Amino acid sequence: MTRRIIRDLPLNRVEGDLEIRVELEDNRVVDAWSSGTMFRGFENLMVGRGALDGLVITPRICGICSTTHLMAAACALDQIAGVRPPGNALRLRNLTLMVENCQSDLRQSVLMYMPDFATPAHAAHPLHAAAVKRYAPLAGERCIDVVRETRKLLEIIAILGGQWPHSSFMVPGGVTYIPNLAELNQCRGLLQHFRRWYEQQVLGCSLERWQAVRSVSDLDAWLEENDAQRDSDVGFFLRFSRGAGLIGQGRGHGHFLSYGSLDIPSGSAVTGGEDRYLVPAGFRTADGRIEPFDQSRVAEHVASSWYEGVGGRHPFDGETVPLATGADGKKYSWSKAPRYAGLPAETGPLAERVVGGDALFGDLLRCYGPDLVSRQLARLVRPATLLPAMETWLDELLAQRDQPFYETVPPLQQGRGFGLIEAARGALGHWVEIRDGKIARYQIVTPTAWNGSPRDDAGVRGPWEEALIGLHVADIDNPVEAGHVVRSFDPCLVCTVHVVGADTTPLRC
Amino acid sequence: MSLLNAAAPEVGDLFRQLDIELLWHPSLSNDSPAAHDALLEAILAGDVALDILVVEGTIVRGPANTGMFDTRRGRPKKDLAAALARQANHVVAAGTCAAFGGIGTNDTLQGCGLQFTGKTPGGLLGAEFRSRSGGPVINLAGCPCHEQAMTGTLSALAGGQALALDEFNRPLDWYGMTVHQGCTRNEYHEYRVEETDFAQRGCLFFFKGCHGPLADGPCNKVLWNGRSSKPRAGVPCFGCTDPDFPQSFPFFVTRDIEGVPISLPKGVSRAHYMVYKGMAAAAAPNRLKQRETKI
Ligand code: SF4
Ligand code: SF4
Repeated sequence: MTRRIIRDLPLNRVEGDLEIRVELEDNRVVDAWSSGTMFRGFENLMVGRGALDGLVITPRICGICSTTHLMAAACALDQIAGVRPPGNALRLRNLTLMVENCQSDLRQSVLMYMPDFATPAHAAHPLHAAAVKRYAPLAGERCIDVVRETRKLLEIIAILGGQWPHSSFMVPGGVTYIPNLAELNQCRGLLQHFRRWYEQQVLGCSLERWQAVRSVSDLDAWLEENDAQRDSDVGFFLRFSRGAGLIGQGRGHGHFLSYGSLDIPSGSAVTGGEDRYLVPAGFRTADGRIEPFDQSRVAEHVASSWYEGVGGRHPFDGETVPLATGADGKKYSWSKAPRYAGLPAETGPLAERVVGGDALFGDLLRCYGPDLVSRQLARLVRPATLLPAMETWLDELLAQRDQPFYETVPPLQQGRGFGLIEAARGALGHWVEIRDGKIARYQIVTPTAWNGSPRDDAGVRGPWEEALIGLHVADIDNPVEAGHVVRSFDPCLVCTVHVVGADTTPLRC
Repeated sequence: MSLLNAAAPEVGDLFRQLDIELLWHPSLSNDSPAAHDALLEAILAGDVALDILVVEGTIVRGPANTGMFDTRRGRPKKDLAAALARQANHVVAAGTCAAFGGIGTNDTLQGCGLQFTGKTPGGLLGAEFRSRSGGPVINLAGCPCHEQAMTGTLSALAGGQALALDEFNRPLDWYGMTVHQGCTRNEYHEYRVEETDFAQRGCLFFFKGCHGPLADGPCNKVLWNGRSSKPRAGVPCFGCTDPDFPQSFPFFVTRDIEGVPISLPKGVSRAHYMVYKGMAAAAAPNRLKQRETKI
């Protein structure tokens, strides 16, 4: 006999406030709703403020990716000012953003994702005891190691930008600080140390060896090659996932979006794709076509969100009025539903790889679909693709220290601009309008708004709602399987929830 | 998240050393949702002792005082926070939002702090509130609060040591000094050698809106990430430890009257300050004016 039940599942260990509601039929998920439970109204606070205030307020949206919001805010203002910052400013900005992404990828993987392997729900897994030893929250050996090493890495941002988190060292035209030789050398030392650690502990091999893994069969061979690789975080993750039957689970729609990121300064030894970005931009549809990205095709829907309004709106035209309360009915989230060309889109490290035509992830997709294991693997190994460019940019900074880090920008009076970048969790956009020297509109669309979006006007589910469909949940009181799926998207609800006001409600201070 | 950055001792070690058992943390705990519910019930029933409650984030009261802009399982979180505070031996507000309302203190969110709204006593719990140990909510102001203020406060509370507090219930050990004290740009400030644009060397007080001489905090004493601070890196202090943070006027500019900042360093009289700065600028040595110093 079939038994249909609806359960609310608040998830712990996500960066924010998220509740998932699933409908189960004989322990299989037949429908899912993802709901952001907090309305923060950040963008409302921005209206009427000083033109540069986004550089101070938006990093505070989230404690784990503050440099990322700073970068998006600064890029939007660069555009309004009509400047491309000098090469050294781009290098310094990129480097700090990449540092933040590396720490986020590793902390998410080891402190947020892997601890689910250590729950009693996986007690029967032959690797469970090892998982507890390695990944038990706060106590696991790998958790302690990752906290220590990522903390050290973040010192680079403090040296170059004053502090982590929540600094505001990127400004339109460049950066606020010109590091000296000694400081850049300290950064070099920290980066070298991090790379060695990442190779030894996380990959179990050199970056070069990892980069030679270009297909599923390469990956199988890599896993069997030696103990260091088997026992590394990547090796353990793959072995545990396979043993737990996670391969092929948690497939999304298969639409992937990357805004492109990390503007390459002219004359740099770092090379990127056709555009001048190290991380290429693009949209990949479920049938495998890759289209160039066009920001005018982004729209946000509010059919399922607790806001007034109808139809999809581009962020420059976005308006939002929160409904008095989270009333029932069709609306169920404080998060809006962004769509690209009318379609939901998954964003994040896997999207970056797939849109960029990466061989390994292309093959994984062909073999297993856009599943949770590939999604999480892409995150765990992303630093391997970033580290070489980080080293090059740091060397170039050392060699060209006497070149400018800032180009004077007069006070901003009018204009519209957007800052679109790739955050740790995927596509992040700030759309900003300045009028009479003040912010007239500030719209932020976060990666989690994309991934964790509710249904749109057409009733189409958001990416992780879709990825939950068909999932088998053994114990509905401890639905670790649903946790694996949602966590593989690296959810961050802190910054998802948003509203823009066309009115000029002043801040009450 | 700033806590994860605590340098020494490492977070896990800190808890072990102090014999603190972490009952629950949104980012770190591994309990199932059912176990989390059971834990909350046990605490509220008084069956599990809650020695230190640490609250992060604005207390959201909107819309219309219902708190429904921030819920857990359809119920306002503010009610949960108040109920837990009544069971706790010590209550700590981590960050300016939890302490004073911060960024959420607007008409929509109707945010407040645990025991203050801005500079006004009251907040969620009321000015008279005392935790079971007899003390008010300890306010670790800052956005975020400095990791050392957090770990140091937890150490002191776990060790049964009393913390002296200022008028806004911020512990003097970390808030009994200004951000300006210890800044590497102090000598520029002394002689009024100014940064007029970004990426220069000079003091940020006169043009770039630095709050260092007005803000209470250890940023230039214990430094961030053990390395630096915003003013050292050319970023003005935004006064994030102030109960009224964030200010309503623009950041990155100093409001002035005829070249004299409207907000003067803490406790300084305007008349004296004008005379002193005039003389100081005249006395400024060339090595500072010409930026021969490499700091
Ligand atoms: S930059 Fe700010 S903190 Fe530093 S000396 Fe000047 S006023 Fe003080
Ligand atoms: S320097 Fe000022 S704004 Fe920055 S953390 Fe310290 S008190 Fe806050």
